Amino acid sequence: MTDEVDISVDFAGLRLANPVFTASGTCGYADELAGFADINRLGGFITKSITLKPRKGNATPRIVETDSGMLNAIGLANIGLEAFIQEKLPILEKLSPTPAPGEVSRGRGPAVFVNVAGETTDEYVAVIERLADKEAIAGFELNISCPNVTKGGISFGTDPADVAQITSAVKKAAGKKVLMVKLTPAVTDISITARAAVEAGADALSLVNTFTAMVIDIESRKAVLANKTGGLSGPAIRPIAVYLVNKVYNEVTKERGIPILGLGGIRTASDAIEFIIAGATAVGVGTANFIEPSCAVKIIEGIKKYCVRKGVANIKELVGSLGA
Amino acid sequence: MIESHSATSKGVFNAAVTANKRIGQRYYRLGLEFSAEAAAAFAKAKAGQFAKLDLSSTALPKAENIPEDLIDAAGRNILLRRPFSFADVTAKKDKTSVDILYCVVGPASLRMTTLSAGNTVNVIGPLGNSFSMPKEKKLVLLVAGGMGAGPLIYLAKVLTADFSSIEVLAFAGAKTADELPFERRLDQISQELGFAVPEFARYGIKSLVATDDGSAGFGGLVTSCFSQWLGQNKPAGRDTIIFGCGPEAMLKRTAEIAKEKNIDCQVSMERMMACGIGVCQSCAVECKVAGSNETVYKLCCEDGPVFDSKEVVFKA
Repeated sequence: MTDEVDISVDFAGLRLANPVFTASGTCGYADELAGFADINRLGGFITKSITLKPRKGNATPRIVETDSGMLNAIGLANIGLEAFIQEKLPILEKLSPTPAPGEVSRGRGPAVFVNVAGETTDEYVAVIERLADKEAIAGFELNISCPNVTKGGISFGTDPADVAQITSAVKKAAGKKVLMVKLTPAVTDISITARAAVEAGADALSLVNTFTAMVIDIESRKAVLANKTGGLSGPAIRPIAVYLVNKVYNEVTKERGIPILGLGGIRTASDAIEFIIAGATAVGVGTANFIEPSCAVKIIEGIKKYCVRKGVANIKELVGSLGA
Repeated sequence: MIESHSATSKGVFNAAVTANKRIGQRYYRLGLEFSAEAAAAFAKAKAGQFAKLDLSSTALPKAENIPEDLIDAAGRNILLRRPFSFADVTAKKDKTSVDILYCVVGPASLRMTTLSAGNTVNVIGPLGNSFSMPKEKKLVLLVAGGMGAGPLIYLAKVLTADFSSIEVLAFAGAKTADELPFERRLDQISQELGFAVPEFARYGIKSLVATDDGSAGFGGLVTSCFSQWLGQNKPAGRDTIIFGCGPEAMLKRTAEIAKEKNIDCQVSMERMMACGIGVCQSCAVECKVAGSNETVYKLCCEDGPVFDSKEVVFKA
């Protein structure tokens, strides 16, 4: 019965089998989850951030758990662009084919997005230029919202002029690939940065990245994380993220037909559906992957069941369907 | 089985709790039993490997059973799984039993104390690498600090079963006799007998116990006890290997002693860990790069938890 429900979505011209992604930094480069989850069943897959040069990342502790959430300050540890191309891209190429922009559904395989980070605009552009012709890659997620690095990251994502400048610079480099810009919630009005990204050429938005936060060890009177602050994720942030998705949907993306990838504390189908009702075309599962690696795949089934139960024939009916 | 691509690889499984015995003020020994594919996966679990337990839906103890220092933390809900190494693994016909030694230190381990026979707990594992025993070694020295005894007890079993001609000696330390994670009160057992710790003695392994306050065995740090023993017995470095598990400061000192005496040494490290499967990059261990001043971060969950002590840049 659940097979009769159409949960495929059009995401910035990509025809996805379903609206469920795994979020950057929580699913590695796909090989790590092999044996735990069938990546090919996902609608989309977003890699760990890639930077031009390898990054060691921050000192430890890099994480700490808090009420219904966790803080991380990994510091964009990654193998760098060249090692990504040599070692990880072949793994992503082995996933089922990615639907190309404008292409009619191939019915299977996740759309692979490479999350790109950098300290300067030139670094972002260099990474994207080098990857723009790779067939296995459907698009890029521009990380201008990492709170855990001293240069780049969030500093690009809080000033609308910077958001516009970097978005238009990488848009050219991305060519025909989909450009998704990942927004930080650490701004007074997220619609301002969302609008800046969309007007500069973003094909999609993902929101939200983590909230800058701190946990203090009261015995030592020191911050628990070596980086002192980290990004708060998990169920604790979900209601705020739902609100911000709804706000951006209403104020920026709805009239322009730009899809939102909703992120923030999703670990069940119910959570995912909240984001879709708020205005997200697709959803990303992040922190929950750490606890239950097959969580995202289970959510796909849960969404179908909800649609059957509510008589929703096509999931598009749900997107932004928040009642008055 | 819940998910696993092959019958003997790591996976997400349900385990039946068979026992949860309090063995000290804050120490417990949890017995788990795996069936079917999980039994096959855990039958191959090696000493030093670990599993992550989902304790998010495990009940809190009654208020009067919550230690005063954990009253505030007790109310916090649990999101992430918690990693534990194995103190014993026994494969039977189609079941595998796994013992976990744990200490109550926070809200998750506090909830763990309420698990009882008949309960089910969800487990990801077995994860990580293991201690590895070079063939040429004739003498194995196990150095344990506090809860670090857990994986070394299982290692003791494996070594004595697999290598008939080696000698194994265990050193176990804690702050006080109360804090030794063993079932018998060691301050009431004469050190003169030489088989002080029943957990090691059952494998025919002699052990020496140290407590910081002298309430059982050697008075002082386990590394001081260990260093003194090495000074007196002078084993040949090339024939000997040290396996250590415990607090980082203890492992650091153990690594220094191993270097001074030119003895190979493997240490099991501990880090805050979100996923345990190499995804989150939380559990970084800083490691030296051979032939350079550079360091890299390796992952405690996948590259470890067992590292050659010469490569680790200890934090303590």
